[in-house]
Amino acid sequence: MTDPTLIRNFSIIAHIDHGKSTLADRMLELTNTIADRDMMEQVLDSMDIERERGITIKAQAVRVYFEASDSQTYQLNLIDTPGHVDFTYEVSRSLAACEGVLLVVDATQGVEAQTVANAQLAMNAHLEIVPLINKIDLPAADPERVRHEIEEGLAIPADEAVLTSGKTGLGVREALEAVVKHVPHPVGDPDAPLKALIFDSYFDAYRGVVALIRIVDGHVRKGMKVRMLATQTVTDVEEVGVRRPANLPVDELGVGEVGYLITGLKDPSLVKVGDTVTLAKHGTEDPLPGYREVKPMVYTGLFPIDGDQYPELRDALDKLQLNDPALIYDPESSHALGFGFRVGFLGLLHMEVVKERLEREFDLDLLATAPSVEYHIFRTNGTSEFIHSPQDMPDPGTIDHIEEPYLKVTVLVPPDYVGPVMELAEGHRASFKDMQYLSKTTVEMHYEMPLSELIMDYFDQLKSRTKGYASMDYEYIGYRTSELVKLDVLLATKIVDALSFIVHKDKAYARGKVLTEKLREIIPRQMFEVPIQAAIGGRIIARETVKAKRKDVLAKCYGGDITRKRKLLEKQKKGKKRMKNVGNIEVPQEAFMAILKVDE
Amino acid sequence: MRLPAHLYVHVPLCRSKCAYCDFYSLPLSSATEGTTAVANSLAAQALAWLDRDVAPRPLRSVYIGGGTPSVLGADLARLVEVLTSSFPLEPDVEVTIEANPESLDRNLVEALARAGVTRVSLGAQSLDDTVLAFLERPHDAAAVRAAARAVHEAGLALSLDLICGIPGQTAQSWIDTVNGAINLGPEHVSVYPLSIEAGTPLAAAVAIGDVQEPDPDVAADMMLLAQHVLGQAGLERYEVANYARRGAESRHNTAYWTGMPYLGVGPGAHGMLDVETAAAVGFVSARTPGVARLRYAVACDLSAGLTPMPRVDTESLSRVEAAREDVMLGLRLVRGVHEEDIVAAGVASVIDGLAEDGLVELVDHRWRTTERGWLLGNEVFGAVWAGE
Ligand SMILES: Nc1nc2c(ncn2[C@@H]2O[C@H](COP(=O)(O)OP(=O)(O)O)[C@@H](O)[C@H]2O)c(=O)[nH]1
Ligand code: SF4
Ligand SMILES: [Mg+2]
Repeated sequence: MTDPTLIRNFSIIAHIDHGKSTLADRMLELTNTIADRDMMEQVLDSMDIERERGITIKAQAVRVYFEASDSQTYQLNLIDTPGHVDFTYEVSRSLAACEGVLLVVDATQGVEAQTVANAQLAMNAHLEIVPLINKIDLPAADPERVRHEIEEGLAIPADEAVLTSGKTGLGVREALEAVVKHVPHPVGDPDAPLKALIFDSYFDAYRGVVALIRIVDGHVRKGMKVRMLATQTVTDVEEVGVRRPANLPVDELGVGEVGYLITGLKDPSLVKVGDTVTLAKHGTEDPLPGYREVKPMVYTGLFPIDGDQYPELRDALDKLQLNDPALIYDPESSHALGFGFRVGFLGLLHMEVVKERLEREFDLDLLATAPSVEYHIFRTNGTSEFIHSPQDMPDPGTIDHIEEPYLKVTVLVPPDYVGPVMELAEGHRASFKDMQYLSKTTVEMHYEMPLSELIMDYFDQLKSRTKGYASMDYEYIGYRTSELVKLDVLLATKIVDALSFIVHKDKAYARGKVLTEKLREIIPRQMFEVPIQAAIGGRIIARETVKAKRKDVLAKCYGGDITRKRKLLEKQKKGKKRMKNVGNIEVPQEAFMAILKVDE
Repeated sequence: MRLPAHLYVHVPLCRSKCAYCDFYSLPLSSATEGTTAVANSLAAQALAWLDRDVAPRPLRSVYIGGGTPSVLGADLARLVEVLTSSFPLEPDVEVTIEANPESLDRNLVEALARAGVTRVSLGAQSLDDTVLAFLERPHDAAAVRAAARAVHEAGLALSLDLICGIPGQTAQSWIDTVNGAINLGPEHVSVYPLSIEAGTPLAAAVAIGDVQEPDPDVAADMMLLAQHVLGQAGLERYEVANYARRGAESRHNTAYWTGMPYLGVGPGAHGMLDVETAAAVGFVSARTPGVARLRYAVACDLSAGLTPMPRVDTESLSRVEAAREDVMLGLRLVRGVHEEDIVAAGVASVIDGLAEDGLVELVDHRWRTTERGWLLGNEVFGAVWAGE
């Protein structure tokens, strides 16, 4: 067992792309944790989708040994975290296993929205914050300005902020020295019964559920009988170990240590993230403060393109949920799309990531319908209910009023772009609250707006209207009454339930019109004319027509090349297969997302 | 078992590349071999078939296509001569060469006629100089007229290729082209809508927005118009894109649509063999079960030099696939497909579906493509081939 005074547990937090994962790489190198030949960029981003997109989705814990200038060798457990707002909960889980954080700020970008949000998480968790200014190798680096922004904007003393370059490795040793110096060592009672926090988990096909744990009191070793407090599940410890970053079994994990625990349990619902592990007998009955359950914010229908894949989709969702507790789902059926699931997500990036993982890791072909939020419907008869699909909207005659989730949105932007941000807000039913200068170069603006508007392409438009300079964060502030109506879309005079959406009354006409226009562009010409209509409660408010297809002949067949002709026909056929047959109309997948892109 | 009665030879050279073309051919300027060497190698590749262990069958048709065979000039006449004197021929063999106006003069036509050519398929495409320039054709309308006259004077049958649905082509331009073509007295006319093929300069121009994508409705109207005007002039449609005076239908092309085997010679050329012949020449192993038909592409290109027996890429079709292919091709012909053949190919329900959409109809026990079906040919052919 390592002496807790020689342990430091810390997370690396930052706005996306400020260089967390790259710094983690340098730290692994500096401490010889990974042999040179195994080193690759952002080595902790192990999922394909993370490597391709260059982003961190899952927090990753790794242990390194660092010989500090006081000649002591420290055990550092570092956790690389995601920076995107959708994955904030991953950050807060990681923080629960730590005593401190390295707050990374890009020397060219300065403080951005998730810098603020993540720093606040760390403060609320009473963690020591060690600021670090990164990418100082870049010509545009302005560490003085950034230091100022950290002090003014975040109220964190930054005169000792470490200057680093994840690219050249400059300052990385100093960063680890600062961690050793400033981050408190863990404190716990080695003689008390085991008390450990499960801060993450994943499913291994051979070993079952693998829990990542942080020991608070006592110790855990192979062969012990342990109990999960929330589920009261008793099980044997098959293996304990540490991540370097591959799993390395150890005899024992003691006070303050971070590692993994394998019990052989296959049912992930028995090993809950946030739960406390203790001894089966004479353990503690006093759970650690878990963290609030994550609640999905947006919901979408996921349907297999090939209806026969429904059981596979269910299976895949079950498996994915193991390492993504933020994912929830219920069966949903649609006249247009058949059987599928209504799935809840933390945000749009989370949705994209989950859909992509389902398709890739489970070989499914999925169609997603436009996301919606969870509405609270109050009926005239005094009852109320939550709905998260436009399909479940009751008859308007029975509705007294509807409430929808609102957010406090924080936008950080250079002063020159305040105007465009204000204009964009107006189009999204956002009300301006206040704004303050974080520095001469950065303004923090606050809005309150419905979540349903935020998911309407707000972020992409914010980025494009501010030439990429704006960053955004949001938090949920509660439900508020809105005048909402359900807008239906009819193809060939039949309502296509999967295209319905809920919209503010004042915006219904404009959105209905733009949406029908968009659909006319998206839906290919068919063998017959297809009228597209938008309607509210049976009243048509917009109409477009996809003309019947008249001509579709291939060009000349040169020199008897029949094979090529056939190949082209097969390709065409394949393209059609990727579309969804709604009635007898072939509708491309993007049609179901078109509502998100109606830029009025 | 015998060799096919139809022979196709591909000449992979052109004066220059047209803006829309994605066929395998090199502009003369970048060909490493001269016309004589190319003609010699093509002849050698063709004659190599006579050295294989399969007896030849008298040829019913020879088609020298491209590319632009006429750029070979006198070497083309020599090539034809070698072929017609080496292969056994049916007495009324049809020998077609493709030609472009810029490389077909009276001398060449006469030499071709002497060598045994019976028919010239002339790449006119349009009789509007603006349109020809847009397509980057290496000739103008006057050259088309002159070449057509030369063909007539040599007593050869004339076929003209025309393209419609070209960006910038007006309805008037098209009407004038069709009428002008009729006035040149062809026995045969082919009409194709322009398609934008990936990788061509035209596709690039469309992609960057310099050229508007052809409007399919306009192309449809133009195709209908051509059908009416040509029909009134006695040129009746016999295939989706082909019109001819009675008896002047292309025998060679008809072989393609009726499932007849044919030899393909030259870089990128295609051929089709019945399975016995394919096995005898080693394109498929004699014991491959389930193969009924073999299609092949000659896998060599000009820059690598031409060998007499180049490698081929093959595609084998099962009995079911061959039957479906026959129906798919048969529906390109006005005479259609006998209902019993539809049933035998197992596509009766597909045909019923197409009939519901008004794409095919049953006339005298034969399923035929309707007017709507001609324009939506890919719907018809695609459904039949997919069998669903
Ligand atoms: N020039 C320079 N580029 C860096 C530095 N650190 C990271 N980057 C680059 O910045 C991008 C984002 O880095 P990454 O580590 O994925 O950021 P994360 O999202 O915070 O994990 C990548 O393209 C890195 O190569 C640095 O110190 N200097
Ligand atoms: S002449 Fe014919 S083969 Fe040659 S480039 Fe033009 S269209 Fe293509
Ligand atoms: Mg990262």
